[in-house]
Amino acid sequence: MTYIPSADDLEVITREVWTSFLDGDPDGLLPGETTPGAEEVTGCVHLSGAYVGSIMLRCSAPAARYAAAALFSMQPTDVTQNEVVDALGELANMVGGNVKSMLPGPSALSLPSVVHGQLAVPGAQVVREVALSWRGETLVVSLWQQAAQAA
Amino acid sequence: MVIDDSSAMRLILGRIMRGLGFDVVEAPNGAEAIARLQSGAMPEIALVDWNMPVMDGLAFVNAVRKEEKWRQITLMMVTTESEQSQIVRALAAGAHEYVIKPFTPDAIADKLALLGVLAY
Repeated sequence: MTYIPSADDLEVITREVWTSFLDGDPDGLLPGETTPGAEEVTGCVHLSGAYVGSIMLRCSAPAARYAAAALFSMQPTDVTQNEVVDALGELANMVGGNVKSMLPGPSALSLPSVVHGQLAVPGAQVVREVALSWRGETLVVSLWQQAAQAA
Repeated sequence: MVIDDSSAMRLILGRIMRGLGFDVVEAPNGAEAIARLQSGAMPEIALVDWNMPVMDGLAFVNAVRKEEKWRQITLMMVTTESEQSQIVRALAAGAHEYVIKPFTPDAIADKLALLGVLAY
Protein backbone atom coordinates (compact mmCIF):
# COMPACT_ATOMS: atom_id res chain seq x y z
CA MET A 1 0.00 0.00 0.00
CA THR A 2 1.31 3.44 -0.94
CA TYR A 3 2.28 5.68 1.97
CA ILE A 4 0.71 9.10 1.61
CA PRO A 5 2.13 11.96 3.68
CA SER A 6 -0.37 13.31 6.18
CA ALA A 7 -1.88 16.78 6.25
CA ASP A 8 0.45 17.45 9.18
CA ASP A 9 3.41 16.52 6.95
CA LEU A 10 2.23 19.04 4.36
CA GLU A 11 1.96 21.68 7.07
CA VAL A 12 5.42 20.96 8.50
CA ILE A 13 7.03 21.19 5.04
CA THR A 14 5.15 24.39 4.17
CA ARG A 15 6.04 25.91 7.53
CA GLU A 16 9.73 25.11 6.95
CA VAL A 17 9.69 26.75 3.52
CA TRP A 18 7.84 29.79 4.82
CA THR A 19 10.13 30.16 7.82
CA SER A 20 13.27 29.83 5.71
CA PHE A 21 12.35 32.22 2.94
CA LEU A 22 9.37 34.39 3.77
CA ASP A 23 9.17 35.68 7.28
CA GLY A 24 11.48 33.74 9.56
CA ASP A 25 8.61 33.20 11.99
CA PRO A 26 7.69 29.54 12.57
CA ASP A 27 4.40 30.73 14.05
CA GLY A 28 3.61 32.93 11.06
CA LEU A 29 1.37 30.27 9.54
CA LEU A 30 -1.89 29.61 11.40
CA PRO A 31 -4.77 27.22 10.77
CA GLY A 32 -6.91 28.61 7.97
CA GLU A 33 -9.93 28.08 5.74
CA THR A 34 -9.96 26.14 2.50
CA THR A 35 -11.54 28.97 0.54
CA PRO A 36 -9.01 31.67 -0.33
CA GLY A 37 -11.54 34.03 -1.91
CA ALA A 38 -12.49 35.40 -5.27
CA GLU A 39 -9.02 36.06 -6.64
CA GLU A 40 -6.56 33.19 -6.32
CA VAL A 41 -3.17 32.09 -7.60
CA THR A 42 -2.10 28.45 -7.80
CA GLY A 43 1.42 27.06 -8.09
CA CYS A 44 1.71 23.42 -9.08
CA VAL A 45 4.30 20.72 -9.70
CA HIS A 46 3.50 17.30 -11.11
CA LEU A 47 5.01 13.97 -10.15
CA SER A 48 5.49 11.03 -12.46
CA GLY A 49 6.99 7.63 -11.77
CA ALA A 50 6.28 5.47 -8.75
CA TYR A 51 3.80 8.13 -7.61
CA VAL A 52 1.65 9.93 -10.16
CA GLY A 53 0.05 13.12 -8.97
CA SER A 54 0.56 16.77 -8.18
CA ILE A 55 1.31 19.13 -5.35
CA MET A 56 -0.53 22.42 -5.43
CA LEU A 57 -0.10 25.59 -3.46
CA ARG A 58 -3.19 27.75 -3.79
CA CYS A 59 -3.49 31.14 -2.15
CA SER A 60 -5.27 34.44 -2.36
CA ALA A 61 -3.87 37.03 -4.73
CA PRO A 62 -2.75 39.25 -1.80
CA ALA A 63 -0.92 36.27 -0.23
CA ALA A 64 0.82 35.63 -3.56
CA ARG A 65 1.91 39.29 -3.70
CA TYR A 66 3.14 39.15 -0.09
CA ALA A 67 5.11 35.99 -0.87
CA ALA A 68 6.70 37.50 -3.97
CA ALA A 69 7.50 40.69 -2.06
CA ALA A 70 9.19 38.70 0.70
CA LEU A 71 11.24 36.59 -1.72
CA PHE A 72 12.31 39.60 -3.81
CA SER A 73 12.70 41.93 -0.81
CA MET A 74 10.22 44.41 -2.23
CA GLN A 75 7.03 46.14 -1.17
CA PRO A 76 3.91 44.11 -2.07
CA THR A 77 2.61 47.05 -4.10
CA ASP A 78 5.75 47.01 -6.25
CA VAL A 79 5.84 43.36 -7.34
CA THR A 80 5.04 42.50 -10.95
CA GLN A 81 2.99 39.58 -12.25
CA ASN A 82 6.21 37.93 -13.45
CA GLU A 83 7.59 38.11 -9.92
CA VAL A 84 4.38 36.61 -8.50
CA VAL A 85 4.60 33.76 -11.02
CA ASP A 86 8.29 33.19 -10.26
CA ALA A 87 7.72 33.22 -6.51
CA LEU A 88 4.68 30.92 -6.45
CA GLY A 89 6.42 28.55 -8.84
CA GLU A 90 9.51 28.32 -6.68
CA LEU A 91 7.47 27.92 -3.48
CA ALA A 92 5.43 25.12 -5.11
CA ASN A 93 8.70 23.57 -6.29
CA MET A 94 10.20 23.61 -2.79
CA VAL A 95 7.07 22.26 -1.09
CA GLY A 96 6.58 19.70 -3.86
CA GLY A 97 10.17 18.51 -3.81
CA ASN A 98 10.05 17.89 -0.10
CA VAL A 99 6.67 16.14 -0.29
CA LYS A 100 8.09 13.99 -3.10
CA SER A 101 10.85 12.78 -0.78
CA MET A 102 8.14 11.22 1.43
CA LEU A 103 6.37 9.45 -1.43
CA PRO A 104 7.29 6.18 -3.12
CA GLY A 105 10.15 6.64 -5.56
CA PRO A 106 11.71 7.02 -7.90
CA SER A 107 9.56 9.83 -9.23
CA ALA A 108 10.32 12.83 -11.41
CA LEU A 109 9.30 16.36 -10.50
CA SER A 110 8.03 18.64 -13.26
CA LEU A 111 8.93 22.26 -13.69
CA PRO A 112 6.41 24.39 -11.77
CA SER A 113 3.45 26.01 -13.42
CA VAL A 114 1.44 28.92 -12.05
CA VAL A 115 -2.09 29.91 -12.97
CA HIS A 116 -4.42 32.65 -11.81
CA GLY A 117 -7.40 30.85 -10.34
CA GLN A 118 -7.81 27.25 -9.31
CA LEU A 119 -6.29 24.31 -11.10
CA ALA A 120 -7.74 20.83 -11.49
CA VAL A 121 -5.82 17.84 -12.77
CA PRO A 122 -7.92 15.59 -15.05
CA GLY A 123 -8.26 12.12 -13.59
CA ALA A 124 -6.70 13.07 -10.28
CA GLN A 125 -8.14 13.61 -6.84
CA VAL A 126 -7.06 15.39 -3.69
CA VAL A 127 -5.73 12.86 -1.18
CA ARG A 128 -4.35 15.31 1.40
CA GLU A 129 -4.99 18.99 2.02
CA VAL A 130 -4.09 21.54 4.63
CA ALA A 131 -5.45 25.06 4.92
CA LEU A 132 -3.34 27.74 6.54
CA SER A 133 -3.53 31.43 7.16
CA TRP A 134 -0.62 33.77 6.55
CA ARG A 135 -0.85 37.49 7.27
CA GLY A 136 -4.62 37.08 7.37
CA GLU A 137 -4.71 35.51 3.90
CA THR A 138 -5.50 31.90 3.06
CA LEU A 139 -3.04 29.35 1.73
CA VAL A 140 -4.08 25.81 0.79
CA VAL A 141 -1.55 23.05 0.11
CA SER A 142 -2.88 19.90 -1.49
CA LEU A 143 -1.50 16.58 -2.64
CA TRP A 144 -3.23 15.00 -5.63
CA GLN A 145 -3.04 11.46 -6.90
CA GLN A 146 -4.16 9.99 -10.18
CA ALA A 147 -7.42 8.16 -9.47
CA ALA A 148 -6.24 4.98 -11.20
CA GLN A 149 -3.28 4.79 -8.83
CA ALA A 150 -5.31 5.73 -5.78
CA ALA A 151 -7.83 2.95 -6.40
CA MET B 1 27.97 31.27 -10.40
CA VAL B 2 24.34 30.82 -9.39
CA ILE B 3 22.33 28.68 -11.81
CA ASP B 4 18.59 28.56 -11.13
CA ASP B 5 15.53 29.17 -13.28
CA SER B 6 13.85 31.10 -10.48
CA SER B 7 14.94 34.71 -10.43
CA ALA B 8 13.86 34.90 -6.77
CA MET B 9 16.18 32.02 -5.89
CA ARG B 10 19.04 33.58 -7.90
CA LEU B 11 18.49 36.78 -5.94
CA ILE B 12 18.51 34.97 -2.58
CA LEU B 13 21.55 32.82 -3.36
CA GLY B 14 23.35 35.74 -4.97
CA ARG B 15 22.80 37.85 -1.87
CA ILE B 16 24.15 35.08 0.35
CA MET B 17 27.22 34.58 -1.83
CA ARG B 18 27.96 38.32 -2.07
CA GLY B 19 27.63 38.50 1.70
CA LEU B 20 30.29 35.81 1.93
CA GLY B 21 32.61 37.83 -0.27
CA PHE B 22 32.07 36.25 -3.68
CA ASP B 23 31.50 38.04 -6.95
CA VAL B 24 28.40 36.49 -8.49
CA VAL B 25 27.30 35.77 -12.04
CA GLU B 26 23.92 34.22 -12.72
CA ALA B 27 22.37 31.93 -15.30
CA PRO B 28 18.73 30.78 -15.60
CA ASN B 29 19.56 27.29 -16.85
CA GLY B 30 22.45 24.95 -17.55
CA ALA B 31 22.77 25.91 -21.21
CA GLU B 32 23.25 29.59 -20.44
CA ALA B 33 25.72 28.68 -17.71
CA ILE B 34 27.72 26.60 -20.21
CA ALA B 35 27.62 29.55 -22.63
CA ARG B 36 29.07 31.79 -19.93
CA LEU B 37 31.84 29.30 -19.24
CA GLN B 38 32.59 29.02 -22.94
CA SER B 39 32.86 32.80 -23.14
CA GLY B 40 35.53 32.79 -20.46
CA ALA B 41 33.84 32.88 -17.08
CA MET B 42 35.71 30.66 -14.63
CA PRO B 43 33.84 30.59 -11.32
CA GLU B 44 35.40 29.10 -8.24
CA ILE B 45 32.08 27.49 -7.41
CA ALA B 46 28.75 26.94 -9.13
CA LEU B 47 25.51 26.56 -7.17
CA VAL B 48 23.30 24.44 -9.40
CA ASP B 49 19.56 23.86 -9.29
CA TRP B 50 18.36 20.51 -10.62
CA ASN B 51 14.99 21.13 -12.30
CA MET B 52 15.48 23.78 -14.95
CA PRO B 53 14.26 24.22 -18.52
CA VAL B 54 16.57 23.84 -21.56
CA MET B 55 19.37 22.09 -19.65
CA ASP B 56 18.86 20.75 -16.15
CA GLY B 57 21.40 20.73 -13.35
CA LEU B 58 22.46 17.12 -13.77
CA ALA B 59 23.14 17.65 -17.47
CA PHE B 60 25.14 20.77 -16.57
CA VAL B 61 27.25 18.82 -14.06
CA ASN B 62 27.89 16.12 -16.66
CA ALA B 63 28.84 18.71 -19.29
CA VAL B 64 31.25 20.51 -16.94
CA ARG B 65 32.90 17.31 -15.79
CA LYS B 66 33.61 16.27 -19.39
CA GLU B 67 35.82 19.31 -19.92
CA GLU B 68 39.32 19.25 -18.46
CA LYS B 69 39.50 23.05 -18.49
CA TRP B 70 36.52 23.28 -16.11
CA ARG B 71 37.68 20.58 -13.71
CA GLN B 72 38.67 23.11 -11.06
CA ILE B 73 35.11 24.42 -10.70
CA THR B 74 33.51 23.24 -7.48
CA LEU B 75 29.93 22.15 -8.08
CA MET B 76 27.26 22.28 -5.39
CA MET B 77 23.70 21.23 -6.12
CA VAL B 78 21.09 23.46 -4.44
CA THR B 79 17.79 21.83 -5.17
CA THR B 80 14.48 20.45 -3.96
CA GLU B 81 15.42 17.01 -5.31
CA SER B 82 15.85 15.20 -2.02
CA GLU B 83 15.43 11.54 -2.99
CA GLN B 84 18.52 9.62 -1.95
CA SER B 85 18.84 8.11 -5.42
CA GLN B 86 18.93 11.59 -6.96
CA ILE B 87 21.59 12.77 -4.52
CA VAL B 88 23.70 9.73 -5.38
CA ARG B 89 23.26 10.44 -9.12
CA ALA B 90 24.42 14.03 -8.74
CA LEU B 91 27.44 13.11 -6.63
CA ALA B 92 28.33 10.28 -9.01
CA ALA B 93 28.15 12.72 -11.93
CA GLY B 94 30.70 14.95 -10.24
CA ALA B 95 28.89 17.32 -7.92
CA HIS B 96 30.90 17.93 -4.75
CA GLU B 97 28.10 18.80 -2.36
CA TYR B 98 24.35 18.81 -2.12
CA VAL B 99 22.04 21.27 -0.35
CA ILE B 100 18.31 20.68 -0.20
CA LYS B 101 15.89 23.60 -0.41
CA PRO B 102 14.75 25.17 1.82
CA PHE B 103 18.12 26.13 3.23
CA THR B 104 19.48 28.78 5.55
CA PRO B 105 22.38 31.11 4.75
CA ASP B 106 24.36 29.30 7.45
CA ALA B 107 23.78 25.95 5.72
CA ILE B 108 25.23 27.36 2.50
CA ALA B 109 28.21 28.85 4.36
CA ASP B 110 28.83 25.60 6.24
CA LYS B 111 28.88 23.58 3.01
CA LEU B 112 31.22 26.09 1.36
CA ALA B 113 33.54 25.85 4.33
CA LEU B 114 33.46 22.05 4.11
CA LEU B 115 34.42 22.35 0.46
CA GLY B 116 37.31 24.61 1.32
CA VAL B 117 36.07 27.53 -0.77
CA LEU B 118 35.17 29.60 2.26
CA ALA B 119 37.54 30.24 5.16
CA TYR B 120 36.04 30.81 8.59
